[in-house]
Amino acid sequence: MDQQNGNTKKYGMVIDLDKCTGCGACMVACMAENNVPFREDDTDKLLSVSWMRVYRLGNGKPFPQVEECYLPRPCQQCEGHAGHSPCVSVCPATATDYDMRTGIVSQIPTRCFGCRYCMAACPYHVRQFNWWDPIWPDGMERMLNPNVSVRMRGVVEKCGFCFHRYQLATDKAYLDGRRELEEGEYQTACAQACPAGAILFGDLNNPTHAVHKIAQPDSTHGGRPRNPKAFRLLERLGTNPKVYYLSSKEWVRKAGDNQVQRTEQTPKA
Amino acid sequence: MKIDRRCFLSFIVGGAAGTALSPLPWKITDDLSIWSQNWPWTPVPPAGETSFVTSTCTLCPGGCGISVRKVDERAVKVEGLKGHPVNDGGLCILGLAAAQLLYAPTRVRGPLKKVDGAWREISWADAIKEIAAKLADLRAKGQPQSVAWISESDRGTTAELCKRFLTVYGSPNYFRTPSIQDAYETALYLTQGQRAMAGFDVAQADFVLSFSSGLIEGWGSPAYMFRARNAMRQNGGRISQVEPRLSKTAAKADQWVPIKPGTEGALALGLVHVIIAEGLYRKNFIDSRSTGFDALKQIAGASYAPEAVSRLTGIEAKTIVDLAKAFAGAKKPLAVCGRGSGRIPGGLQEVLAVHCLNALTGSINQPGGVIAVPEPEYIDWPEPEMDAVASRGVQQPRLDGAGRDGFPLARYLLNRLPEAQTAGASAPVQALFVSGANPVYSLADTQAVAKAFSKVPLIVSLSSYMDETAAMAHYILPSHAHLERYEDVPAALGFPKPILGLSKPAVKPAFKTKYVGDMVIALAKAMGGPVAEAFGWESYEACLKQTLGNAWDTLVKNGYVVDAKFKPGEFETPSQKFEFNNPALAKLPAYAAQRAPGDEKSFPLTLIPYDTMRLASGPIGSPPFLVKALEETVLQQNTALVDVNPATAKDLGLSEGSAAVLSTPKGSARVKVHLFDGIMPGLVALPRGLGHTAYDKYLAGKGVNTNALISPVEDPGSGFEAGWGIRANLTRA
Amino acid sequence: MDSALIPKGVKRCSIGQFALWIAVVGAVLLWGVWAMLLCYFRGLNQTNMNNAYGFALWIWADLAVIALGGGAFFTGLLRYIFGKDELKHIINYAVLIGFICYSSALLILAIDVGQPLRAWFIFWHANVHSMLTEVAFCLTCYFGVLTIEYVPLVLENRQIDRLPFFHNLTHNMHGIMALFAATGAFLSFFHQGSLGGVSGVLYGRPFGFRTGLLVWPWTFFLYTWSAAACGPCFTLFITRITEMATCKKLVKDSVVELLAKIAGWMLLTYIVAKIIDTVYWAAVTAPAMGLTLMDFYSNNPGSAYGLWILIAEVGVCGVLPAVMLVAPGIRSNPSMRFIAVTLAVIGACLNRWVMVLQVQAVPVLPFEGWFGYMPSWQEIATTILPVAYGIILISLSYRYLPVFPQEQELNPIEGGK
Ligand SMILES: Nc1nc2c(c(=O)[nH]1)N[C@H]1C(S)=C(S)[C@@H](COP(=O)(O)OP(=O)(O)OC[C@H]3O[C@@H](n4cnc5c(=O)[nH]c(N)nc54)[C@H](O)[C@@H]3O)O[C@H]1N2
Ligand SMILES: Nc1nc2c(c(=O)[nH]1)N[C@H]1C(S)=C(S)[C@@H](COP(=O)(O)OP(=O)(O)OC[C@H]3O[C@@H](n4cnc5c(=O)[nH]c(N)nc54)[C@H](O)[C@@H]3O)O[C@H]1N2
Ligand code: SF4
Ligand code: SF4
Ligand code: SF4
Ligand code: SF4
Ligand code: SF4
Repeated sequence: MDQQNGNTKKYGMVIDLDKCTGCGACMVACMAENNVPFREDDTDKLLSVSWMRVYRLGNGKPFPQVEECYLPRPCQQCEGHAGHSPCVSVCPATATDYDMRTGIVSQIPTRCFGCRYCMAACPYHVRQFNWWDPIWPDGMERMLNPNVSVRMRGVVEKCGFCFHRYQLATDKAYLDGRRELEEGEYQTACAQACPAGAILFGDLNNPTHAVHKIAQPDSTHGGRPRNPKAFRLLERLGTNPKVYYLSSKEWVRKAGDNQVQRTEQTPKA
Repeated sequence: MKIDRRCFLSFIVGGAAGTALSPLPWKITDDLSIWSQNWPWTPVPPAGETSFVTSTCTLCPGGCGISVRKVDERAVKVEGLKGHPVNDGGLCILGLAAAQLLYAPTRVRGPLKKVDGAWREISWADAIKEIAAKLADLRAKGQPQSVAWISESDRGTTAELCKRFLTVYGSPNYFRTPSIQDAYETALYLTQGQRAMAGFDVAQADFVLSFSSGLIEGWGSPAYMFRARNAMRQNGGRISQVEPRLSKTAAKADQWVPIKPGTEGALALGLVHVIIAEGLYRKNFIDSRSTGFDALKQIAGASYAPEAVSRLTGIEAKTIVDLAKAFAGAKKPLAVCGRGSGRIPGGLQEVLAVHCLNALTGSINQPGGVIAVPEPEYIDWPEPEMDAVASRGVQQPRLDGAGRDGFPLARYLLNRLPEAQTAGASAPVQALFVSGANPVYSLADTQAVAKAFSKVPLIVSLSSYMDETAAMAHYILPSHAHLERYEDVPAALGFPKPILGLSKPAVKPAFKTKYVGDMVIALAKAMGGPVAEAFGWESYEACLKQTLGNAWDTLVKNGYVVDAKFKPGEFETPSQKFEFNNPALAKLPAYAAQRAPGDEKSFPLTLIPYDTMRLASGPIGSPPFLVKALEETVLQQNTALVDVNPATAKDLGLSEGSAAVLSTPKGSARVKVHLFDGIMPGLVALPRGLGHTAYDKYLAGKGVNTNALISPVEDPGSGFEAGWGIRANLTRA
Repeated sequence: MDSALIPKGVKRCSIGQFALWIAVVGAVLLWGVWAMLLCYFRGLNQTNMNNAYGFALWIWADLAVIALGGGAFFTGLLRYIFGKDELKHIINYAVLIGFICYSSALLILAIDVGQPLRAWFIFWHANVHSMLTEVAFCLTCYFGVLTIEYVPLVLENRQIDRLPFFHNLTHNMHGIMALFAATGAFLSFFHQGSLGGVSGVLYGRPFGFRTGLLVWPWTFFLYTWSAAACGPCFTLFITRITEMATCKKLVKDSVVELLAKIAGWMLLTYIVAKIIDTVYWAAVTAPAMGLTLMDFYSNNPGSAYGLWILIAEVGVCGVLPAVMLVAPGIRSNPSMRFIAVTLAVIGACLNRWVMVLQVQAVPVLPFEGWFGYMPSWQEIATTILPVAYGIILISLSYRYLPVFPQEQELNPIEGGK
């Protein structure tokens, strides 16, 4: 799309892993914001729905050289090549879409018929399936957020950068007679909640936004970060994600991408 | 009939067209898909007017500002209050999940009375009348001191109302649940003469030395500590974490120093030793603002030389020396202690050793140091009139011995109550009120606690939830949930400035509940006489409004008032100086590293409970989102995982995921093994906050309650609870 | 009792015996139906799939049966387009097997999706970029073609054929069968290919991803090729099984040998292409994504996906049967031929297994480990369901339809009827 056009946004995140404490607040903020269901036993993470997941990485060394790092993983909102995100291009029913105006990969649960091809396509395990009917214990459905529809059994769901918040913000701006959103006017629930301030959210195309200044995306190289502390997950696959991570530790930056020489096998979480 | 090619083709085409043109199959197909998009059993949240209520979270003593998002009369989500001095928009995982607590199936929906072991609904009027009658009975028998009250806090209007009730009724037996605060407050009083809470100016420090404190595991005011930790690191500050296990705090620290658990105080004294020996202390502070330095020198004498401390702690002597030099060499060093979230107990001597370390570098009441934050003084009610029974009652010795002979320094020693209740022939507690606490779950050796509580003829729980203590009670007089009530929040734990918050009702009470403050006033009125007279207020809200006076309007509008220009007061010791020594300190026994109770032969390992932000381990049980957010290395189905060093596991013949039995002198539990290189060999770590027997199906029956496996340890000299762990064994199941 | 329905000049077992056989297989079918209903009414939580294994046993079964059903289009192509007239003696059976395979595939897909009631969105809201869209369209169309190819065989039943309308209809359909065979071959080329594309386009999954030609990854062509090679092998395999079950020779050796020979050459060329593809992928494609060949075959629990699987697929079930079928001496030996076609069938199934399941088992995020999966009984039952259905359809067709034109000649009945 037209990068010069001021209307083309590329919303993205910078997550500072030096700041992230692994507290999990972002996960719960997301669940509460987006009506994510829960079950009596949610300990099998491969059956449980969580749009944000905080991974625990290790440097693979023995006691006492062992180190740990926590890595929150929302949808990476991959742009792929010209909007051909890994997941969007495979969906047979157009139930997920790359929005050229915001760079956000949407998910339309009522369109999705649950073929799960997109799950197979996403290398980040972002997409999750509703294996069960969502059930809130009697009375607790009162906490559901009307801005986000509850998903039914049998469909795939995922983080959409809290897109409803974008709509609310643009509506408000429109009523105020503005065409542009201020930085911070549209914030995701996880960025807002993080008590460590580890998640920054904004428009990567806007040079005045903090996310742009920190990540320094190199648009001539598919958005690769120029900040040496920054990296993206699985950069080499060409998924072109809009979530950048910062870490001052080399092993963490290495853990974010496949290295032809896998020196150490990090322990499975 | 002869069919030619043309006829055949028209047959095919005509049939297809005919079917396609009939609306029926298409209509049915379409309707079915629409039905599948609107299954009646999938809820559709009603839309409505969105509004926000500014309030203060009271789910822990952290004092965060919150903004409750409502849609019509539904509380949809709790978010952090932007600009709030404690959390500035961020919020912890528990605070964020608060709407789940509000609408939890485990809420107690109205007053209950236990009749023949079963809960029966009862009206508020009848419940209060019956309880008042029983209390009147005890008073008439001259035993008002047999009424006890347990709560997590002893500050703020609610706690003051409860204490006032006990006083005019005639009992000195108000209890605050044990935490490291007991030791911190005592340490400040002994060395600085200040009746104050310890605040920590982490944000402005440039070197934080943490003795097993989980700065990002809920220690102090969790959200504040997160922000402060980042701020100090952003400014180039460093954190050294001394801890037996690679907690998240240790993992995110600049240096992790594994230490044998229980020897943290010894390390502190070792550092004191090096700093003194090398003359690295701040001479101006020691010379002009302290006394008793020689006594400290003596305490941290040869027996705390690096080699000796190395043997005790398992840390190399060189590391100890380096750590001391780094600490003393920093511009604004700060040492903190209190294990995990600060709810894991520890002894007074340990806190004193760490506090002295701060004093050596002058980090007392200075930016970046330990700040004595005065106890709030806005509650100024007239002294109640006491009758003879009450006067006699309050003169009776406290049931836990606090403030007397053995333990003159302690204010509350709830840890000693279970034994007092079961030791003699007659049970000293005849009636017990529990509000904002869940002692049957959270005190060490829960079996002994339950046994002691079973000897109390009348337990009244004021819990909002069906927790373990409520389940044992005779009456439950459920309080409003925290989003349904007014309440003053007198401080934010560990925050370096005085701050007063107000919790406001965001929604109308959903059930037939009554706030603790109102219940106390109603009970007092039902008692009549001088008890009733001491409670002139019409309601708790009226009392609160009157008490807060001028601050009320600001609090309602902003949610908090903070004393931004606050300067810590002067030392109030007789010498007006920081006292490394004085008669009270001199009476304390010498510091000794605290060993885990239990016999080392049958229990070759040591169990250390640990805290995680993803579990609430205090009086509130974790709501479903928290349990959901747990890592799979912590809980799998209903089984908790213990962290074990791979070398230790190998010796025990255990591997990743092995089913095992964890046994201690207090009991045993089935667990699974998680191999973790981030724990010292010989230890087993278990998360706190699991193993609930009460609450709902999203929490009950999951994992193990660490408190059921450990036993209380009485800190010599102070009497405080100091049981940080216990000897244990782990065997293949 | 049902003798009036049985084709002239052939012998069939008694109706009682037949009913017993159908009852046994029918019981298995009902077990599958029960599992299917569970999946419909309780949802896909009845399976052991998970968020890492979104595609599992069913998708494998789907791809496998479609590959094996490839015998229909390829035999049709050989007979009607390339004029291998001899194959008319086996084309009926090839079509029947193809029909069973494709109807099974559609049935499995209808169970596999989370929202079967709106599965038609794939047509209505079609995304042209998606390989699955291509699969869905071609698969459905080709199933239509197979139906049209199968119908004349049904109409040839002795009683139906007596009605002039159906007799003429059959005649006319036979007349235009070449057109359908051509259409079928065209459609098959694309859907077999797009099935190959399903994993080949997953550029987020280095194990499955392949570079390629125009919009198609190499797997697109490899799948079509392998289906053309292994589909006929499956036809021969089932034919042989049928012969064993009926204790009769049903198709002449010359026919079988011809098909085996063609399949052998297809397999040989395919496996050469496959080896080139694998080498290129291992040497160029994967390293560009930061991975080495052994990252895909090591460190997984129990060596479920060790190098052995590559050797088994390409060597034991690829090169070996190809050589056996191409070598006239070995091919002409019925037992060796049977071993070879069996290996080829296993090879195709292994290939589909690897390209569906191993793709998801391999960790992509460097900090994750291998993902494990073991199907639930509901998945197994629903996968066996089409097998039972296939056996029943074959049994009925064999009993009542002139499936094997050479049967009468090869098995003359003494004493009339
Ligand atoms: N993922 C996802 N997809 C969706 C939906 C969703 O919620 N999620 N919603 C669906 C719905 S309900 C709708 S209506 C569609 C909307 O989808 P579109 O109809 O594609 O809507 P817009 O993206 O707004 O694009 C309208 C275009 O018209 C141009 N335009 C504006 N004014 C004029 C004019 O006066 N003349 C001309 N010629 N052009 C003009 C704009 O610049 C813009 O390029 O999206 C559908 N698709
Ligand atoms: N800011 C902004 N405003 C817009 C537009 C825009 O692009 N931006 N587009 C305009 C256009 S073109 C349109 S069509 C309208 C669309 O406006 P709406 O029709 O309001 O569409 P949504 O906001 O997508 O969804 C409305 C509600 O439907 C509920 N919902 C979702 N799925 C289901 C379901 O399966 N069953 C039931 N019962 N409820 C469900 C959700 O709770 C959601 O709150 O918006 C218009 N307004
Ligand atoms: S809320 Fe912030 S600090 Fe906590 S896990 Fe998420 S990103 Fe990390
Ligand atoms: S992270 Fe996964 S779901 Fe998100 S855009 Fe990328 S491929 Fe799609
Ligand atoms: S599961 Fe849904 S969103 Fe994913 S590819 Fe299939 S239809 Fe599209
Ligand atoms: S951006 Fe929104 S939807 Fe995505 S993880 Fe964060 S809170 Fe969840
Ligand atoms: S830290 Fe404490 S006060 Fe703050 S939100 Fe969490 S529970 Fe509430």
